[in-house]
Amino acid sequence: MQPFAYSRPGTLAEAVALLEERGPGARVLAGGTDLLIRLRDGSLDPEVVVDVKRVPELAPGIRADDGRLVIGATTTMTEIAAHPVIRHEFAALADAAAYVGSVQIRNRATLAGNLCNASPAADTAPALLVHGAVVVAAGPEGTRRIPLDAFFVRSGVTTLARGELVTAVDLPLPSTRLASAHERRTRRRGHDLAAVTMAVGVDARGAARLAFGSVGPRPVVRVDDTATLGDRSATDADVDAILDRLLGDAAPSRTSMRASPGYRLAMLRVLARRARATALGRLADG
Amino acid sequence: MAERVAIELVLNGARRRVEVEPHHTLLDALRDDLALTGAKSCCLVGECGACTVMVDGRAVDSCLVLAAEVAGADVRTVEGLAPAGGGLSTLQAKFLEHGAVQCGYCIPGQLMAAQALLETTPQPSDPEIEEGLAGNLCRCACYEQIFDAVRETAATAVVEPRAPAAAAR
Amino acid sequence: MTASRVGDSPARVGGFGRVTGAQQYVADLHPADALHAKLVTVDAAHARIVSVDASGALALPGVHLVLTSDDLPQPVPRFGPQNRDRPVLAVGETKYHGDPVAIVVADTVDQAEAAAAAVRVEHEPLPAVFTIEGALAADAPLVQDPSLREGQALAQTNVLNEHEVGWGDLDQAARGADVVLERRYTFPMVTQFAIEPHAWMAAPDGDGIVVWSAIQHPYWLQRMLAGVLKLPLARVRVVAPDPGGAFGGKQHPKYEPALAFAALRVGRPVKLVLTLEETFQAVRRAACDATVRIGLARDGSICFEDIRADYLIGAYTDIADRVVGKGSYVGAGPYAIPAVRIRGRSILSHTVPSTAFRGFGNPQINWAVESTLDEACEALGLDPLDVRLRNLAAKGQPFIPFDTPCDGDWADSVRKAADMIGWGSPMPEGRGRGIAVGIKSGPTTGLSTSIVRLLADGSVVVYAGTSDMGQGARTVFAQVASQELGAPLDWVTVVMGDTAVVPYDQQTSASRSTVLMGNAVLNACRDIQRKLAAMAARVHGVEAGAVAVEGGVVRLPGGAVLPIADVVAASLGRLGGEITGLGEARKEADPSHPLGGSAAFFEFNCTAIEASVDEDTGDVTIHRHVTVSDVGKALNPLQVTMQDEGAAIMGLGHTLMEHYLFDDEGRIRNLGAIDYRIPTSMDLPRSLESAFVEHEDGPGPFGAKGMSEGALLCVAPAVGAAIHAAARVRIRDLPFSPERVWRAIQERDRGEAGA
Repeated sequence: MQPFAYSRPGTLAEAVALLEERGPGARVLAGGTDLLIRLRDGSLDPEVVVDVKRVPELAPGIRADDGRLVIGATTTMTEIAAHPVIRHEFAALADAAAYVGSVQIRNRATLAGNLCNASPAADTAPALLVHGAVVVAAGPEGTRRIPLDAFFVRSGVTTLARGELVTAVDLPLPSTRLASAHERRTRRRGHDLAAVTMAVGVDARGAARLAFGSVGPRPVVRVDDTATLGDRSATDADVDAILDRLLGDAAPSRTSMRASPGYRLAMLRVLARRARATALGRLADG
Repeated sequence: MAERVAIELVLNGARRRVEVEPHHTLLDALRDDLALTGAKSCCLVGECGACTVMVDGRAVDSCLVLAAEVAGADVRTVEGLAPAGGGLSTLQAKFLEHGAVQCGYCIPGQLMAAQALLETTPQPSDPEIEEGLAGNLCRCACYEQIFDAVRETAATAVVEPRAPAAAAR
Repeated sequence: MTASRVGDSPARVGGFGRVTGAQQYVADLHPADALHAKLVTVDAAHARIVSVDASGALALPGVHLVLTSDDLPQPVPRFGPQNRDRPVLAVGETKYHGDPVAIVVADTVDQAEAAAAAVRVEHEPLPAVFTIEGALAADAPLVQDPSLREGQALAQTNVLNEHEVGWGDLDQAARGADVVLERRYTFPMVTQFAIEPHAWMAAPDGDGIVVWSAIQHPYWLQRMLAGVLKLPLARVRVVAPDPGGAFGGKQHPKYEPALAFAALRVGRPVKLVLTLEETFQAVRRAACDATVRIGLARDGSICFEDIRADYLIGAYTDIADRVVGKGSYVGAGPYAIPAVRIRGRSILSHTVPSTAFRGFGNPQINWAVESTLDEACEALGLDPLDVRLRNLAAKGQPFIPFDTPCDGDWADSVRKAADMIGWGSPMPEGRGRGIAVGIKSGPTTGLSTSIVRLLADGSVVVYAGTSDMGQGARTVFAQVASQELGAPLDWVTVVMGDTAVVPYDQQTSASRSTVLMGNAVLNACRDIQRKLAAMAARVHGVEAGAVAVEGGVVRLPGGAVLPIADVVAASLGRLGGEITGLGEARKEADPSHPLGGSAAFFEFNCTAIEASVDEDTGDVTIHRHVTVSDVGKALNPLQVTMQDEGAAIMGLGHTLMEHYLFDDEGRIRNLGAIDYRIPTSMDLPRSLESAFVEHEDGPGPFGAKGMSEGALLCVAPAVGAAIHAAARVRIRDLPFSPERVWRAIQERDRGEAGA
């Protein structure tokens, strides 16, 4: 690994000031499970690594606040996967967090880190998109709220400005239950990077949202305004027709070694059907 | 070259102070600065688990943690598993008894993952054991024997989370 | 104090260090004055080295040396277990992605890495071949300079060697066949992926050198180093700490010579620990493209097999041509077949040199032959189990006419596997079963020597030059000594892995050590027993012939039975001392034999699989995996089970998920653990059941045979047959990745299914 300096700011102001001053020469360290791999392989070569785990505003924790569930930026996948409210109200997110890496990885990997990498394959992104998550960012200009759909640009790039960092992610606690499920495709059953990710959410009125990743430069969310996916009496043909429309613009990488575009596109449909079935089952279970 | 970082940690129950390179991982520090070579180096990308240690009671890949990050933390390695008076812990003994050890290179990591699992889930189900150890590759593939050792440790021993040592922070 | 017996399963000797972290692998050695080395490579496969500029690297802090082939004796020494074709460092060009151009030495690992990155290697891409088709093309660039292959008929081609064996009249035999099928099966490049990446250290040692290497063949390394460094054997000491997994990948020297030159140059210990990525660039298994023509009669008898197997080896020979020759040799399988022809070829390419890997060339050809046989069974509507039982060689039958006859009751293993999986019984909807057998020739030559010392208190020191890389050789040797000399297991020390201390052993390979070194240890113990009998007779004033020493006790005339420990001190007398035994076991060469010697034994395995396929995704689930090996006698049943189950799961790796992927320039794309997948604890069969057959009919101690590779040999064809039974798709390329299986299902549904 190339040498770099290590900084561990104790306040948000310090962290923001450092990130603003150093710009691309600084990299934020939360869980480190992606960052350290990229530091080692040389694809990142920062002057300073800014460990934000001692910034109080980014502290791990999951709490309800004014109709929203607020997840601190450094909350780990282990905590998310185990949280009772998330498991019930945002089940796809719990599913996704439980799929991230191994136990060792989940014990370190943070939600904010998973989003800030902006990997098209980020496991938690589809679930968060389905549930309408908002990223809370703090920066030199103060705090702003960025809907997750407006956060991702392309692989490795977000709409965070220089000096900004994510302090929390929050999710609207729904008045009507939105049951959701997450599915993914990998090359083995043990932990693996996903070749396709898919989350589907359905509510009792039949509204459905579907989000997916690994099949384009960024995760994408689509809304089924025909209420077909949420209708458990819909025929397979109806469902497939809607999926064809919602998934039509997926454009998987042609050069990935993890799966071919044809397989990814086919699996997108398979996973959508499966996630929908699981979500409908969860809706029925209450 | 960036300045070295002085950290204090509790390592296998003893307070230690060490200066580390900012770009060195916890694995580097354990092996090169703290003379504990039990945690092993293999993939260095968090895939194989050979470097697994416990930080504040949780299993982590020490190749993906900067040494500087564990300032004030409670770190446990395979060298700290055996009882102070000598001999082996139940888990270690069950590993040998069930034939969970062949070449042995992955075993320190397997043991620490298993120890962390048993401390958080004292009576794990079979899927919980499989999942709890999925981050530790064994190319000799003694997986079934490792499961047996973990299952039997759960059945015969009380694996209590050790009280976290006083934070050194 | 009870002695351990063979047939017991005591805890692993050496296990304590392995569960406490005290076991020292090479990377764990930290001499205070050690320097650190790093290899310099280029991001290309075949490239001309235009220039190497080390000035920037040498100017960095802590850097002691940048060694290139220009700094070595000229012509640059070449080495290799078969052909001396691998230079110590690349000369003029790199031949594969990862071929080291230079080695740098610095005070710290960080400094060595920085220096390696600072060495400027100007290079130009050269035409290259990465596939069998490419290597055999008329205009293919030659991988090896013909001057290295003087006198070889094929020197102007990329075919390194051809191996042909056969017997009987194919044409005549074909006339009896009711179906003749020809099928092509491929097997990808895979890597050993020992969890311990390769590691070495070299240091000047007086007038000579000492090299620490996690190597399976320390004496072979010693001989090679002596040749390259022009030192007498007695000045080359190889210390071989237990490897952290080897699987064949640590049999033969790789970068030890370069490290040795570097250490001699700087005059201090120099340590080189490869990354996992560098290990992928150092060792792999040969890929294979095999075409099998098989004739089967309606009564189930195999009329003939005509096999062509092209193995894609790397840029240097290493042991790969032996892998091809020996692996293809038993390619027809454990059957009595009237007519067989097997043609194996070693094809050079600009890829990582392939080397030994558990199964040694057999899994590749076995996959093709057993799968084609399954297809032939299907064509005639015959039960694959019946066909195998019908054709298996019977014990004592010379199934390869010029080799060791069948040395086991192989049908017992097959019947046992069939019983265990419930062959023919109903199973849940959507599942299918497959069964396959595998055979591998054991060592064809060998020499193992052992010294055993019975100390004055009855404790024992065994010297055995085997490398204990996980197979548990140390435990088995201790058990043999314990049983023979009556010392409890924790009174037996087994010393291994140091050519300055331990007598000669040819190698740790081909599952030989239980048989060859086991016999050497046994013979050394028996030597002690003879000496002790004579001494006891003197002490007790009886005829030497009247004293028997066996099974750990001394029997005197008149019925007295004394523990050896009680007799030894009295027998040694006032000067004390000890009793030393010397034992040897040989397997002589036979120059007239196609392999240079007949098989010391055969490893035989039968694997039966029950699987289902998720038709939407192509996921294969192994519900049941049954593996049965003929082991002669299980000296340590627990270790036999561990080896068989480990081999079975390793076999699932190349069957379901493992393969190298290359880019157009011959660089490995999935270099490292993120994209080269091996089985985790989540990827196991839902049920893995292993058993073994013991008829005490092997050449090893107490009738043991070698084992530990068998259970890997035929996993792929058994899984392939189960997939076919479950989903009616025949897939002829490995691995059975979800995508590949899904594609086969798509083709089936479009009516394009192969076969």
